[in-house]
Parts: sequence; structure tokens; C-alpha cells
Amino acid sequence: MIIVIVIINKRTFILKIALAGNPNSGKSTLFNALTGKTARVGNWAGVTVNKKEGLVKTTFNKTDAEIIVVDLPGAYSMSPFSSEEAITRDFVKTEKPEVILNIVDATNLSRSLFFTTQLLELNIPVVVALNKSDLTKSKNTVIDTQTLSKLLGCPVVETTSTKSSKNGLDSLLSTAVELTGKQQSAPFVSDGIDLSNAKLVEDSDIKRFEFVKNIVENVEQRQVKNNRHTMQDTVDRVIANKWLGLPVFALIMWSVFSISQTHLGPILADLLVGWIDAFYGMVEGLLGSEVSPVLGALLLDGIIGGVGAVVGFLPLIMVLFFLLALLEDCGYMARVAVIMDRFFKHLGLSGKSIIPMVIGTGCAIPGIMATRTIQNERQRRTTAMLTPFMPCGAKLPVIALFAGVFFNDAAWVGTSMYFMGIAIITFGAWVVVRITGEKNARSFFIMELPEYRIPSIKLALVSTLSRAKSFIIKAGTIILLCNAVVQVMQTFNWQFEVVAEGSAGTSILASVASPFALVLIPLGFGVWQLAAAAITGFIAKENVVGTLAVVYGISNFIDTEELALISGGSDVASIMGLSSVAALSYLIFNLFTPPCFAALGAMNSEMEDKKWLWAGIAFQFGMGYVVAFTAYQAGTLITTGTLGQGFIYGLAVTMMLIGTLLYFMYKGESVAQQKLTTYNA
Amino acid sequence: MNSSIFNNSMPLSSEDLVTSQVAVHKLSQAKVSQDYVIKGVDPGDAEIANFLFTLGCFKGETITLISVLSESYVVSIKDARYSIGSDLAQAVLL
Repeated sequence: MIIVIVIINKRTFILKIALAGNPNSGKSTLFNALTGKTARVGNWAGVTVNKKEGLVKTTFNKTDAEIIVVDLPGAYSMSPFSSEEAITRDFVKTEKPEVILNIVDATNLSRSLFFTTQLLELNIPVVVALNKSDLTKSKNTVIDTQTLSKLLGCPVVETTSTKSSKNGLDSLLSTAVELTGKQQSAPFVSDGIDLSNAKLVEDSDIKRFEFVKNIVENVEQRQVKNNRHTMQDTVDRVIANKWLGLPVFALIMWSVFSISQTHLGPILADLLVGWIDAFYGMVEGLLGSEVSPVLGALLLDGIIGGVGAVVGFLPLIMVLFFLLALLEDCGYMARVAVIMDRFFKHLGLSGKSIIPMVIGTGCAIPGIMATRTIQNERQRRTTAMLTPFMPCGAKLPVIALFAGVFFNDAAWVGTSMYFMGIAIITFGAWVVVRITGEKNARSFFIMELPEYRIPSIKLALVSTLSRAKSFIIKAGTIILLCNAVVQVMQTFNWQFEVVAEGSAGTSILASVASPFALVLIPLGFGVWQLAAAAITGFIAKENVVGTLAVVYGISNFIDTEELALISGGSDVASIMGLSSVAALSYLIFNLFTPPCFAALGAMNSEMEDKKWLWAGIAFQFGMGYVVAFTAYQAGTLITTGTLGQGFIYGLAVTMMLIGTLLYFMYKGESVAQQKLTTYNA
Repeated sequence: MNSSIFNNSMPLSSEDLVTSQVAVHKLSQAKVSQDYVIKGVDPGDAEIANFLFTLGCFKGETITLISVLSESYVVSIKDARYSIGSDLAQAVLL
């Protein structure tokens, strides 16, 4: 996300500093420390996926100027391999920042300095921040910064961006400011070679590496050799083990969900719901009996009720985010990618695809954005399309609601939804490979394994709170608006008269939603109330809960006494008039259809191809429909011995969808044959 | 189709590997915790070759195999750890 700062004050001069460096060098942590922002930081190479800007905090900025810092994605060199490296290269070359802050991982000079020497050639003043200095000290590696500075021809400042004080940042920033307007000489020049001649580039790069090797030999003294087995490698052998790896991962994910949904989460949720209840009661009391019942209903049930139903789930989602942030920060995610590669390979994807999906269990939007690090275009687009199938935080209230009302809070409901998501993802990936005709294509997996580190609680808290803030803003605006509109549409008919008790079917909402309800009959829930809720779900998945609360007049889904997630479950069930099978089918439908508009927007920017985007949306819609249909019909058959309503129509639609899919797969087969012959030519 | 820029003097096919005088291993056959010198990289994809290059994985550089986890090879190149897939491991010639 690009954060643009509008400057309206007396400072006249704007100084732009670019932050460039290898992935995982601590750039984003430094950015956060300097600007006070919460750019997402994760301990696996490739988390900053877009250029981010921020104003330097006044504690560091002792000048009259505004200093803007731009955090660029990590790059290993200037020759673009992945799109993130292209962003860096283009930015530095076209936007001409005044100073470049090169973050260098002090534990890996010999690789990092390759990029440094390239940056030095741009004739923009460079300051090297020798980051992770605490780690080099603990490993007894000594780096002679004076000599390094002399050999590079630019100042070198030792920093430890993870510390909150005495971290070198003051000195770093003042050095940067001092350099403004100065020239920069390059210690190694590639002599303006023709970049299209691969051989010349290779020779020049080899010389560059030699140059860097020379510098490192002069400047660094190591005790701990990197090419020997360390304690972390031993840990890796267990965690990323062929047999143990997957169970360990399953266990970790299970604990994350268990803590957020069954233990810590609900406790906090009850507190919050208690407050909402009290608020509801207070407003009810204030309104008294003089206020028109319409307005009263709008305020109490529509707004407080609808929004409250959603906000009550906030603590569960926040605990989940917090735990996921810790997981990302400690470096475990890179190992998960290694473990998963074995399985993803068979689907035409690489292990890297697991990361967006795990992030997607929190929120699909950062998950989809994280696909940017996948180099292979088809894999990236496939992953972006499939990530929303993992139930996200917004879908949790929906799962919780239905599990509570219809299935007595059984744990298998939620768990099965996640497994179903995995199954659909597997199917989807398999299908895409066949449609694009690339089932014989090779692709390579390479992942940097960063050192494990103790995750920063502070960082995780900060990032969780910022998520909480955006959730509350979302709840206060979009969800509030939707609920208000739904409440109004439900209360009035087209003549703007209040709808009488018992004839809710004449309201605006009923007439708008009924056509859609027809389409949904074969799935077991062809009722306008449910159709309306599903539609609002496209705006934000939490709306399903909110709209249902409004439409059925239920305002409290969380029971504070029994720590259960329902209030009078059987009452709610009878109001909705659904059988358990139909309820399950409805849940499936809402979970596996296209995600909210915001996530679709993220998909659009990652796909970069309208064909893929629409195909992805069509696939998502198709899957949601077919799986819900199958679940309802099969379930009804099993439990009652007869098929559900509208079987024929639903079957027709399903057959048509499957037919279309098969057609594309068949076409893909001939593309694959063609590609095979060109390979062997 | 082979456009790899590193293999001017290296045997390219498996028969050549058998008949050549120099004993060439692939990374996938290497022993753990032993340093090797890279003699060439042949993934058949210039982009990947270039990328590996920027990490320091090219002819003349030292590489060490740290461990083998499922089908991934954990290697140390220029003071950093990477996990590479088996097809990539087979492309690095030692």
C-alpha cells in the first residue's frame, strides 16, 4: 500500500531518502523505527511488496526540512528478476532521491555488498547502515567499519533496528542529511557495458564479486563459519523434516486457531459484548417510548445490533492476527514453504504459495499481495485466485454463527471448512495447470532461510492494533452503512410506507433479493432474507452476520453467561427456517464464493490481466455454487431420503459449469502438447 | 535448447558426464558439510541462472550442502542459507 503524506506546514524543503537493500536485511524494521509507521514486517524474504513512504519522526529529524523515507522492496541486485527488484531499480533511477540509505545485513557482507557497489554507481550519495550489528557482536564477528567506509567511498553507520534506543538511527539520519547535494564516487564501475550482452554482463559481475570479496577479506573477521552446521540447522532438521514437518505445522496452526477461537479469544469477546449489551440497553432507555418505532428499530437493531453482532467477534480475529504475526516474525514461515514444496510441486505450484494462504487465514488482502514474491507468473496468478478460499478473519463470525446456531458449537464445523478450502485449492491448482497447458513445465524453488529470531511481541502488538483499528473503521463505515440501508429497505415498501408486522415479504429488500433467491433454491436456501445477506456479504463478509441480525431481528449472538456463541440457538434456527443441511450449505456458499470487493481489488492488481481476473471470479463463484449444491442435495438425500428442492435446475447449472471447465481443460491439453514439441525441438 | 552462459567448457549431457576425465558431481549427489567449488550451473533458464548469480552461486564459488530436508537441499552460499528444490540441485555442477 502506498501511504502518501500531504504536507501542509511551514517547512519548505522536502528531502527524499530511499531505503534499499537485500530482502530480510531489516529495511522495514528500520523504516518503522524512523517513521513510526507499521509497515508489515515478516521474517521471510519478500514481505514489502509495494513501495511505502513515510515522514521521519521529529525525534530524529533535527532539520528544517521534511524528510520522506521510501521503503523499497528488497533486491539482491539491480538486474530485475522479480517484479520487486524492478520497482527498486526504476524508482532509484527515475525519482532521483536525494540520498540512498543502503541497509546491509552485517551477518552477510559478501552477498550484500554486491548490491551496494551497484547503488554507489548511481551518483546519488549513499549511506550504508550496517544492520543487525547486535547479531555480529554475539557471533564474535568483527567488522572494521572505518576501512569499509574508506574502501566503499561512503559513510558506514552501525545500526540495530530492532532495539528501541542506542540503535544508531540518530547518527544514521544525521549522516544522511549531511550528504545532501554531495557527489558520490563509485569504487567499482562497470564501465557502461551493454546490458543486453549476457556474456559481458556476466564477466563484469564476476569482477564485481571479486572486488567485494576483496573488501570483505580486508574488513571482516569471523569466528562462526556460516558453512558449518549450527544449532539452527539442527532445529530445521526437525521442523522441516520429511516426516515430522507436516505434523509440526498442523500442530502449530491448530494451536493458533485453538487459542484465538476457543481459549483467549472468547474471553475477550465476552467482555466486549458485555459493553455492547450495556450500550444497547442504555440507548433503549434513552429513546423511551416517544421516539417512533421505526427510528428506534433503525438505531437499536439496525445500527447497534447489526454492527454489534460483527464487532463482538473482533477479539477473536485480533488474537488470530497477533499469533500469525508472531509466527511470521520468528522465521518459521520460510521453513513452512520448504515443507510444503513437496506437495505443491504436484499441483504446478511451489512451496512459496503456502505463505499467502496462511496469511489469508487472517485476511485475504495481505495474503494476495504477498503473492508478488512468486516469480512464475502463472503460479502467482493461480495463488492469488486460490488464496481467498482459505476462510479469512471476516468469515469467522459467519462460521461461528452457524456452528453455534445449528450445530451446537461443534468444532468439526469450522475445521471442516478449512479442510474444504484446502481441498478446493488443490482442485483449483490442478485445474489451472491443465487449462494453461503447462503441466509439463518446470519451475524452480529457491528460498532464503533467514536465521530464527525471537519474535518481537511489541511489533506483533503494534501490527495487530493497526489491524484492529482498520477493522473498527470498516465496521463503523461500510458495515454500519450496509446495515442501515438493509434496515431501511426492510422496513419500508416501495410506497415508503412502513411494512406491517407479518408482511415482511412486501418490503423493498424482499423484492430486490427475491430474484436472487430463486437461483439459490437448489442450494437449499432460496429465501430472500438469506439471499440478501449473501449479497451484502460481497461488500464485506462480516455483513452476512450483520444483515442476518437485522433481517431476523436478532441482535445478540454471543451469550455472556454460557461463554457460547449463540443466544437461544434453537430460536434463531426456527426463525431462519433452515434445516441443518441447508444451513451447512449456506455456510459453504458464503465461504467459497468470491471474496469481498476489497480482496477482489487486490486480486485485480496482482493478476494484471482481465482474463485471469474474470476467470478467477467465475471459478470462485462456480465452486461456491457447485459445492453448496452438492452438500445440500447429498445431505438432504442422506438425512431424509429424498432430494431437495430444485434438484433438476441446480443439476443443469452444475453440469453446464463442469462442462465449461472440461472444455477449457481439453483445449489446454492441446496447448500442452504443442509446448512439449517445442521443448523437444 | 540450451543457452546457458556458464557452460562453455562443461559437458552437457549425461553420457558426457560418464566419459569425461574430470569427475563431476551434481549438487544433488554431494556430501553434507563438505565444501565444493561450483563448476557450472545449468537450469536451462537464463533468468534463474542470473538470479543464482546475484546470490553468489556461479562458477568458481564455494558452496556447502548443510542438510537434505525432504526433497529440498539446504545450502550455504556466501554466508547465507537457502533451500533449493531438487531440480535446481541437479542443475548445479560441482
